[in-house]
Amino acid sequence: MSLQNLIMNLQKYWADQGCYLAPSYDVEVGAGTMTPDTFFRVLDKRPWKVAYVQPSRRPTDGRYGENPNRVQKHHQFQVIIKPSPADIQKLYIDGLTSLGINLQDHDLRFDEDDWESPTIGAWGVGWSVMLDGLEITQFTYFQQAGGLDVFPIPVEITYGLERLEMFLEEKDNIYDLKWSEDVSYRDLRFEDERQFSEYNFNQASIKSLQESFALAEKEAGRLIEKNLLLPAYDMCLKCSHVFNLLDARGAISVTERVKMIAQIRTVVNQVAMKYANTEGKL
Amino acid sequence: MEFLLEINVEEMPSSHVKTALLDLKEKFARELSAAKISWTELRTFSTCRRLVVLADLAEGREAREEIITGPPRAVAFTADGTPTPAALGFARSRGIDIANLEIIKTEKGEYVGFKKTEKGRSAEEILNGIIPQIVGALSFPKMMRWGEGQFRFSRPIRNVLCLLGERPLSFEIGGVSAGDTTFGHKIRSPRRITVKSFREYRDALKENMVIVDAEEREKSILDQIEALLSPLEAQLHPDPGLLERLANDVEYPFVFMGGFPERYLDLPLEILSTAMREGQKLFSVVKAKKQIPCFLGVADAPSDAKGFIQKGNERVLKARLEDARFFWEHDLKTGLKKRAPALKHVLFQEKLGSYDDKTQRLKKIVSYLNAKVEDGKDGKEVLLAAELCKADLVTDMVREFPSLQGRVGGLYAKAEGLSSVVSRAIYEHYRPVSLDDDSPETQGGAILSIADKLDSIVGAVGIGVQTTGSSDPFGLRRNAQGVCKIILDWKMNFSFQRLLEKVLTVYGDRLKRPKKEILEFCHDFFLGRLRYICEREGYRYDLINAALGAGVDNIYYAYLRVKALDTLKASSQFEPFILMAKRVNNILAGQPVYAFSPDLLAEKPERDLFSTFSIVKENVVPMFAKGDFSQAQKMVFRLQPCLNDFFDRVLVMAKENKLRKNRLSLLQAIRKILIPMADYAQVVVEGEKPAVKK
Repeated sequence: MSLQNLIMNLQKYWADQGCYLAPSYDVEVGAGTMTPDTFFRVLDKRPWKVAYVQPSRRPTDGRYGENPNRVQKHHQFQVIIKPSPADIQKLYIDGLTSLGINLQDHDLRFDEDDWESPTIGAWGVGWSVMLDGLEITQFTYFQQAGGLDVFPIPVEITYGLERLEMFLEEKDNIYDLKWSEDVSYRDLRFEDERQFSEYNFNQASIKSLQESFALAEKEAGRLIEKNLLLPAYDMCLKCSHVFNLLDARGAISVTERVKMIAQIRTVVNQVAMKYANTEGKL
Repeated sequence: MEFLLEINVEEMPSSHVKTALLDLKEKFARELSAAKISWTELRTFSTCRRLVVLADLAEGREAREEIITGPPRAVAFTADGTPTPAALGFARSRGIDIANLEIIKTEKGEYVGFKKTEKGRSAEEILNGIIPQIVGALSFPKMMRWGEGQFRFSRPIRNVLCLLGERPLSFEIGGVSAGDTTFGHKIRSPRRITVKSFREYRDALKENMVIVDAEEREKSILDQIEALLSPLEAQLHPDPGLLERLANDVEYPFVFMGGFPERYLDLPLEILSTAMREGQKLFSVVKAKKQIPCFLGVADAPSDAKGFIQKGNERVLKARLEDARFFWEHDLKTGLKKRAPALKHVLFQEKLGSYDDKTQRLKKIVSYLNAKVEDGKDGKEVLLAAELCKADLVTDMVREFPSLQGRVGGLYAKAEGLSSVVSRAIYEHYRPVSLDDDSPETQGGAILSIADKLDSIVGAVGIGVQTTGSSDPFGLRRNAQGVCKIILDWKMNFSFQRLLEKVLTVYGDRLKRPKKEILEFCHDFFLGRLRYICEREGYRYDLINAALGAGVDNIYYAYLRVKALDTLKASSQFEPFILMAKRVNNILAGQPVYAFSPDLLAEKPERDLFSTFSIVKENVVPMFAKGDFSQAQKMVFRLQPCLNDFFDRVLVMAKENKLRKNRLSLLQAIRKILIPMADYAQVVVEGEKPAVKK
């Protein structure tokens, strides 16, 4: 087993369930939930099935490659199915079995864990899925996004790929994982982690970041006016990532934090509202 | 007839299961009684995936005939048989035709009336109607929808089994039709099972790896724990909440033991046990109150034959402990003092500023309080504790384990070599988190905790936060109860009003609400909390009202007055005295204050009353100051015979102005020493009209 095998197996499994396999999104995001393939598609009334790998950046989680579990960029495998099917838990469980995990030998639990993202005005009800004490998936029934009630209800399944692979390979250190038979996680990602940790925590120019935030926020507003919701939303994502970088730099004061989160939420909610009013015609 | 209902859901939070069962039981009892279906033995069972109701019901209710009588025949009809307005009115009010009225012969004579028949209904028909209503009316703190349905519940409902006798009922809940099948364990035995009775249901589920009785699961967990721990002569680090939650979260409990490397034992027990509990829900194991390198976990499985569950958990725990140790060592490199300035960047509340702002306020409140308590010798150290108490919010450890806030700060303070006064005060300053939790054990902790909670309360009230019904934003109620509890446990004796004013002053112009409004709100709010605490301890409501009616500025004294009234309520002097005090009150109602002169005491009973009063007064005043309200109360009882005599033999409302005013003035002086004891008008004496409950 290797990470790329895991990805291929999950893609095959969910494609067989009728999911469209989306390419990873090309703007920095903190989680798979934030890409347009989830954000927009949960807002309208049409059925939707999608699965994709999404690299997810959380600058403050960087540890210079020195921590065996934490990285500033990890990979999520995101599944959205709308409306949520009645047998979704069984589909999920069968998916784990298809990865070669014999669940009879393990302890699989759905632990209460409701999800919420104030920045994009979204929340849902669900669980962390624990396999022998390891959290491998977030399982959520969306209830609101962009500050609006969603209907029909989408279900979101987010696998933490590194976590799951550590379970499958019985490894204690993320860098010991195999990406392929010949290439290790260390080969691919260690230098990345080291350099980006240095950038995130020490080198990123606070002044330029503050300027980019202001520019992207302004641009988002202008694009919303022009009904260009997809580019406007990209601008929101840029704001969000820049905010996270500023946070890692320790450059956000108390009042600024509140203000910046509110700024992002306002534009995101405007995008969501307008999109919902167009009844999903992008 | 046996009635069995099972609602199959995706994993529900244990708190939701608990309230759902209570609600189901209550609603079924109410609806069945309303439908006149008799029932016995209404019971509930559950797992996180099942809500189960079991009852023994009557098969239905019989058809019934009832005779309704109206006016006498003679009144209802005239001699020639024409209906009178009385008959017409009766028929109209009952909604029947005048022609259908019959003559009913009774022992008292002939009346008009009619027979009303109520149709019989089967339990089946009734249940098909009420079950969807009952289940649909269950409410949870957070509700959800799923799929394309509009139904709201705690988690999605996936199957409904419902049997009456051996037959399935037919109704729908949230788009799911009831039937006679259920499912076994979702991983171990996910097959469809058809059953005809509760007995079959319970046994079939057990064969399919589900124990449906929570008590049985809890007992199984405890037995397995005992079997694992007794050879080691070790115990669980107690955690009743975790046990209850685990008994809910698994359908078939298996307890496994695992270990971790001894090098992590350097970490304090609080941190080890929290690292185990949060995330993986593991129990830490102690021997002679010291952690040993073992843990226990509860799996939803029949066994761990291959050891995968144990090994997997050990691997995850090791990573968590490694993190915790890293945080511990890393955090300790920067002392709390150096960390504190970073609180400028942590928001306490948007309008109330950062945690640094809060810290600056705490220092001022703490120095005020230090001066107010009897033994304030540790003042400087408690002040230091105030300065450092929030610094742990910017440590990695608290970021990882927020529930350890305060305790981590205390542990770091100790590890840094700060005095035990400082470290204990920091460690304890969130306590008590509820009325069932202990107050801080050190005076420094008590003072810091009061200061912290009052700062939050006054701040929240000052920006207009309100509490309504069950919602308690900002933890206002919990915090206020905590403050009261500490004051009572520590027998703290100071003016609460002045403390509130101090906190307000410390806030300066940050609070926009008028000061007077804030003070009034806080006064009423704390009065309410203190009343709640007294009621919770079982004191009579009228005694509470009387004692608190004498003022709550000194919270501890107000509580002592409740206790004093309670201690004396059974004494033979109590009720006569209360009546006398009420009489004094009544006679003085509306009177202006008069001057008193002993020379004007004309008659013996009033001279006697005055001299007894003088002695009583001299004695009770120091008792009030010391808070010895029981003794003071007993002392004022002595006024009773003289007052009796006075009222019997002296005319208070004498014609002569001078005498009347002097007598009233004597009574006014007496009332003055009664006022600090209680508002006696609030005490309910048998035979009297009860005072209005506040």
